[in-house]
Amino acid sequence: MRLVAERASERARPQRNHFTRRAFVAAAMAAPFVSGKAGAAGSLNAYSIWPENYARPMMEAFEKASGIAVKFVRFSSGEALARVAAEKNNPQIDVLFGGPVETFTAGQSKGLFEAYKSPSFGDLPSRFKDANGQWTAIADDPLVFMTNSGFLKQHNLQPPGSWDDLLNPAYKDMLQMADARTSGTAVTRIFSILQVHDRNEDAAFAYMKKLRKNIQSYTKSGGGGTLPVGLGQAGGGIFFIVDALFTRQKGYDVQISFPKEGIGSAAECIALIKGAKNADAGKKLIDWATSPDMQSLLAPNKINFIPAHPKVATEPSLAEVLKGAKIIEIDEAWAGSNRQRIIERWIAEVLNAG
Amino acid sequence: MQGDPLRAGVVVALWLLLGLFVLYPLACLLIRAFSDDGGFTLGPIVGALGNPTHLRALRNSLVLASLVGILGTAAGFLFAYAAERTDMSRNARRLIDFIILLPLISPPFTTSIGFVFSFGPRGLITHDLLGMQNAQVYGWASTTCAEALTYFPLAFLALRPLIAAIGGDLEEAGFSLGGSRWQVFRTITLPLTMPGLGNAFLLIFAASLADFATPLILAGNNLPVLPTDAYLQITGMFDLKGGAVLSLLLLVPAGLVFFAQRYLVERRSYVTITGKSGGRARGAGATAWLRWVLWAACAAVTLFILYLYALLAYASAVVAFGANATLTLDNYRVIFTEGVPAIKDTLIIALIGMPLGGLYGVIVGYLIARSRGFGRHMIEIVSMINYALPGTIVGIAYLIAFNDQPFALTGTATIIIACYIFRYSPTGIRTTVALLQQVDRSIEEASFSLGASSLRTFRSVTLPLILPAFFAGLGTVFIRAMTAISATIFLVSINWTLITVRILENMTEVALGPAAAFSVFVIVVVLGVTSLLNVALRRMTTLRVSSLGTAS
Amino acid sequence: MSNAPVSIALRRVSAAFRSPEGATVAAVRDVDLAVRPGELLTLLGPSGCGKTTTLRMIAGFQEPSSGEILIGEHDVTRLPANRRDIGFVFQSYALFPHLSVFDNVAYGLRVRRKSAHETRTAVAAVLALVGLGDLERRSPSELSGGQQQRVALARAIVIRPRVLLFDEPLSNLDAKLRVEMRTEIQRLQRRLGITTVYVTHDQEEAMAISDRIAVMNDGRIAQLGSAEELYRRPASSFVAGFLGRANLLPATVRASSGGTVTLDVCGAAIKVASAISHSLGERLSVMIRPERILIGPPGGPLDGEIVSRVYLGEKAEYVVQVGGALLQVIRADPPEGETLAPGARVGITLPRDGVQLLP
Repeated sequence: MRLVAERASERARPQRNHFTRRAFVAAAMAAPFVSGKAGAAGSLNAYSIWPENYARPMMEAFEKASGIAVKFVRFSSGEALARVAAEKNNPQIDVLFGGPVETFTAGQSKGLFEAYKSPSFGDLPSRFKDANGQWTAIADDPLVFMTNSGFLKQHNLQPPGSWDDLLNPAYKDMLQMADARTSGTAVTRIFSILQVHDRNEDAAFAYMKKLRKNIQSYTKSGGGGTLPVGLGQAGGGIFFIVDALFTRQKGYDVQISFPKEGIGSAAECIALIKGAKNADAGKKLIDWATSPDMQSLLAPNKINFIPAHPKVATEPSLAEVLKGAKIIEIDEAWAGSNRQRIIERWIAEVLNAG
Repeated sequence: MQGDPLRAGVVVALWLLLGLFVLYPLACLLIRAFSDDGGFTLGPIVGALGNPTHLRALRNSLVLASLVGILGTAAGFLFAYAAERTDMSRNARRLIDFIILLPLISPPFTTSIGFVFSFGPRGLITHDLLGMQNAQVYGWASTTCAEALTYFPLAFLALRPLIAAIGGDLEEAGFSLGGSRWQVFRTITLPLTMPGLGNAFLLIFAASLADFATPLILAGNNLPVLPTDAYLQITGMFDLKGGAVLSLLLLVPAGLVFFAQRYLVERRSYVTITGKSGGRARGAGATAWLRWVLWAACAAVTLFILYLYALLAYASAVVAFGANATLTLDNYRVIFTEGVPAIKDTLIIALIGMPLGGLYGVIVGYLIARSRGFGRHMIEIVSMINYALPGTIVGIAYLIAFNDQPFALTGTATIIIACYIFRYSPTGIRTTVALLQQVDRSIEEASFSLGASSLRTFRSVTLPLILPAFFAGLGTVFIRAMTAISATIFLVSINWTLITVRILENMTEVALGPAAAFSVFVIVVVLGVTSLLNVALRRMTTLRVSSLGTAS
Repeated sequence: MSNAPVSIALRRVSAAFRSPEGATVAAVRDVDLAVRPGELLTLLGPSGCGKTTTLRMIAGFQEPSSGEILIGEHDVTRLPANRRDIGFVFQSYALFPHLSVFDNVAYGLRVRRKSAHETRTAVAAVLALVGLGDLERRSPSELSGGQQQRVALARAIVIRPRVLLFDEPLSNLDAKLRVEMRTEIQRLQRRLGITTVYVTHDQEEAMAISDRIAVMNDGRIAQLGSAEELYRRPASSFVAGFLGRANLLPATVRASSGGTVTLDVCGAAIKVASAISHSLGERLSVMIRPERILIGPPGGPLDGEIVSRVYLGEKAEYVVQVGGALLQVIRADPPEGETLAPGARVGITLPRDGVQLLP
C-alpha cells in the first residue's frame, strides 16, 4: 500500500513539484491559475464520510483490486456535503463515499450528483438506491441506544427500551448525541423521531425539547459522544450501530439497546460527483463498493455495517445484536425535501432552547 | 535612497500582495455580507443583530474573552512576578520557561482533550480524585480555564520585562523613602504595571475572542460562541453568507481591541524613560511568606499543565484510554502511515511558509522603520489586519475571495501558505521595527556613502543586524503553520490537508489515540525546529559580531 | 527628624553574590569604615570595585553576608531600607514616571503620613531650594536630565533623612552640568548637615565634593583620607594612579639613615623621608606627579629628549624620555615662544619634596 500511496501522490499532485521549484513571488502570481487539479488517469479523489479507520482498509483493497490510486479526505457528512456544494463549479473530487442517505438526498436536491447505475443496482432493494441511480447504498447502519453499563448500574436502570426511557431524570445532563448542523447521524435521529411520531412535527419537537434537558453535549460528529459514554463521562446516547459496536470492541463497557417504538436506519451510500474529472475511475469505485467485493470485507475488518448487498451475509455477532430490533423505514424522499427546514427548526427550537 | 528604483519596485510588489491577500478578501467578505441579489443591503447584519441566538453568541464571546483575559492576565502576572521577584533556582526558572512555551507551541485541543478526561462525571480529577458524582465538564468554567491556561503565556511574556524594569531602582526608591512593601506595591508597582496588564489583557482577550477550537470541544450547548457558530454555519450548513455575517459581528470587538492595544503600547514610554534600572534587583522584593505563596501557586499551575501533557502522552501510547491501558505504538504507527499525507502537507506548507514569512516580515518591517509619511502608516496598518482579525474571519474571507475566478486558489497550497504568511508575520515585522529603531541609521548611510546600492546595503549591512527579527519571524510562522487551525480549517482541501485538521477529525471520530499522537508529534517537531533556529541564530550572530565588529 | 548628624559605621562587612553559573563571588570583603557625623564621604573606585554594593548595603537594599552596619547608635544590619531613614539618589534618578514632580517629591512625606498642609509646604520649600519651584505639575518625562536630577535630590532630602546616599548621581549628565550639580549637591549637603555617602568613579568629582574619600579596589578600601592626603601621599600605586596622573618610576637605594633614604631615580640622587630603613641597593618604586617636574635648558644633572608636546592653553603636557623611562611632565602657563619640538634636548629637575615612596 505504501508503494501505491507514493505513486498516488506522485501522480495526483503534479502542481506540488511545480510549486516548490518556483520563487515565491512568481508562485504567488502564477498560483491563482494553478488550482488543485488532480486529473491523472488511473487515480481518483474522494471525500469519505466514513471515518478514516473504516474507509482506509476499503480504499486500500480497492487500489489493490483495480490499480487505481485513491486519494481521499475524511469530513463529517455536513462538511463533506458543504464542500461538494461549494466546489460545484469546479469539482475537486469524483466520488462521495459513505455517509447516511439523507446527506445524499440533500445533495441530490442540489444537483450535485451524476446518475450512475452499477452492475449491482438491480440486486438492491429499493430502500438502498435512488431510482435514477443518483446514489446507491453500500451498507446499512441502524441507530441504537448506547449506554454506559456502570452508569446504568449506579442509577439502577435497565438499558433504555423505549424513547421515553431517555426522558428519565436520571439521565439529566448525561446524554451525548450529534449536532444536526454537522452530523448526518443527528439528522437520521431527528427523522427517526419524526417517523415514530408519525411525522407529527409538533409532537416530535415536543419530545426533542424534553430530551434536550438531558443532553450534556451535542457533538460535532455522529460518533463524538461514544468515547464519553464509554468512559462514563456521559451516561448514554443515540449512535449508529457501527460506532457503538466499535466502542465496545475497544473495550469500553457499554450496553446497546433498541427502542420498542422502532428506530431509523441510514443506508450508507456512494455517489458520482457531477462533472467529475475522473468519472471512469469513480464508476469503478462505485461498481466495486456496491458489490459483494467490498461488502464482504466489512466483517473481516471488524467494521460493523450491515452489508447492503443481499448476497453478503450479515456477520453472526452483528446479527445477534440486531435480533429483535425494530428498524423502521424513513421516507427518504420526504426527508430529503424537508431536511433544511427541519434542521433549522431543530436549531431554533431544540439546540438553542437550553 | 527614497528614489531608489528597486525600493519602489519592492513597495509596489508589496502593495500588490497586500491588496490580493489582505484587502481583497476582506472586501469580498464585506460585499458578501452586505449584499443580496438586489445589491447593497443591511438586511443580513440587521437580521443577525436582531437574532437572539446570534446576539447570545456575541455576548458569550465577549464575556468569555473578558473572563479569560482576567484569569490569564492574573496567571501571567503571577508567573512573571515569581520569576522576577523571587530567588528561584535556575532549574525552576528553566521549568517555568518550558511550561510557558508548551501552550504556545501546542496544537489546538491539547488542553481541551485533557479537560474532557479530567473533569465531568467520571473525570480523573472530579470523580477519581475528588469523588464528585455529578460534575460537568462542558460550559463556562472549563472553557474559561482551558483558554486561560492556553493563553496566559502571552501575558507572562508581555509582563515579565515590565516587572523586571520596575523591580530595580523604582521600587527601591520607594523603599528608601520609607514606603512599606505593600505601599510600594500599591503606589508604584501596580500603577506602573497597569498599562502592561491592560496590554496583556487585550492580547488574551483577542486570542480568546478568536479561539474556535476550545469552545468546539468544551463549550457544550449552553455556551455558543461566535467563531464556533460561524464555523458550524459554514461547514455544516454551507451557509457562507451566514458565516460571513457571524464573523463580522466579531470584527467590531476585534478592531476595538486592536486599536486599544496600539494605544497602550504607544504610551508604554512610562518605564523606559529613565533608561537603565533593574537587573540586580532580581531575587529581591518578595518576603518569605509571599515567596512561598507565589511558588505554591506557580507550582500548582505548572503541575497541572504537566499533568495535562502527561495525559496527552499517555493517551497517545495506550490502546484505548480509560478502557484498555495496554501500551502500544499503534497510534504512532497510524499517524506515520495513514497520517503521512497530512504530515507531509503540513511540513511542506510550514517549510515553504517559514522563509517567505521571515523575509516578508523583515522587508515590511524595514519599510516601516525606514520610510516616512503616509505610505508607511498605511503599510503598517494593512499588514496588521489579518493578524488582528480573528482567524475565523480571515479564513472565511479567503474562502469567499479565492473560491472563484479571477483568483481561484481554493484547493492549492498557495492559499494556505499565503494565509499563514500574512496572518502570522507581524511578529517578525514588529521585531524588525524594534531592532531597526535601535540601529543607528548612520550605519546604513555609511554603506551608501561607500557606494553600495540599497539592495546591497540591505543585504550586507541591514539584514545581518536584523537577523534576530528574521529568525523570530521564521519561528512564529513555522509554529503557527504547525499548530493553527482557526483560519486554515476553511482552506484545507483534498490536495492539501493539515495535521491540526486531522487532529480535529480524529477527535470527533473518537480516534483519540491518533489525535494525541499527532499532538505529541507536532510538539516534538516544533520544539526541535525552534531549538534548531535558536542554535542557528546564535551561531550566525556570534559570527557576524566577530567578523563585522559591530557588536554593541 | 533631623536632629544632630549621625555617624555611620561598617564593621567587617562583606557581600557575596551567587553568579548565574553558581559560583560565589565576593563583591565586598571585610570593609571597616567610619563615616563621621555630618561629613560627605565618597566611595571612589573603578567599576566592579564594590563601591555601589557597599552603598546598597548601607541603604538596606542588600544584606551583607557578614559584618554589621550601624547608623548612629543603632545596628541596622537586618533593618529593611524603608525603616532606616535614608535618602537615596539613584544613578537612573528612579523618578516615578506615573507621578508628577510634586507627587514624586511628596511621596516620602505621604508615606510618613504628614498632613496635606505640611506636605505642601515642605515640597514647595525643597523645590525652591533646588530651583524647580515652577515645575511641580510637570511629569518627569517632560524634564531635562539636570531637572530630573534635581527632583531626585529634592525627593531624597525633603524627608530630612539621617543619611543621604548618592549612587553615581551625575553620570548621566553632560560635563558642564556635572560641575554645576556637584557644587549644588555640596552646597545643600553642607547646609543640611546630613551625613552623606557618595559613590562615584570620577576622581575630579570626588575631590571637588568630598570631605574624605575612600578609594576602593577589589572589594576593599585601599586608602581613606582627604583629597589632598590621597593625592600627595598615596598609599599604593593603585591610589596614586587612580587619583590624578602619576609617574611611577623604579628607584634604587643609595643610602639610608635616620628616617631618610637616598634614592637613585633615573640617575638623579633624591632624598626621601622614610619611616623604615632600607638596605643598600634595594629596588623600590616612587611616584612623582607630572606637574612637580621642572623642565629647563639641557646640561643639568638629568637630561632628556622631548617625545611629544601638547599645548592646552593654561598648561602644556610633555612626554620626555629620560634614560630608559618616559616621564609625563606638565608645565603651567608655558612661556610664549617656547619651542620644544619632539627631539629637543631638555634638562629635567626632579623635585626633592615631590617624590613619594610607594610600598
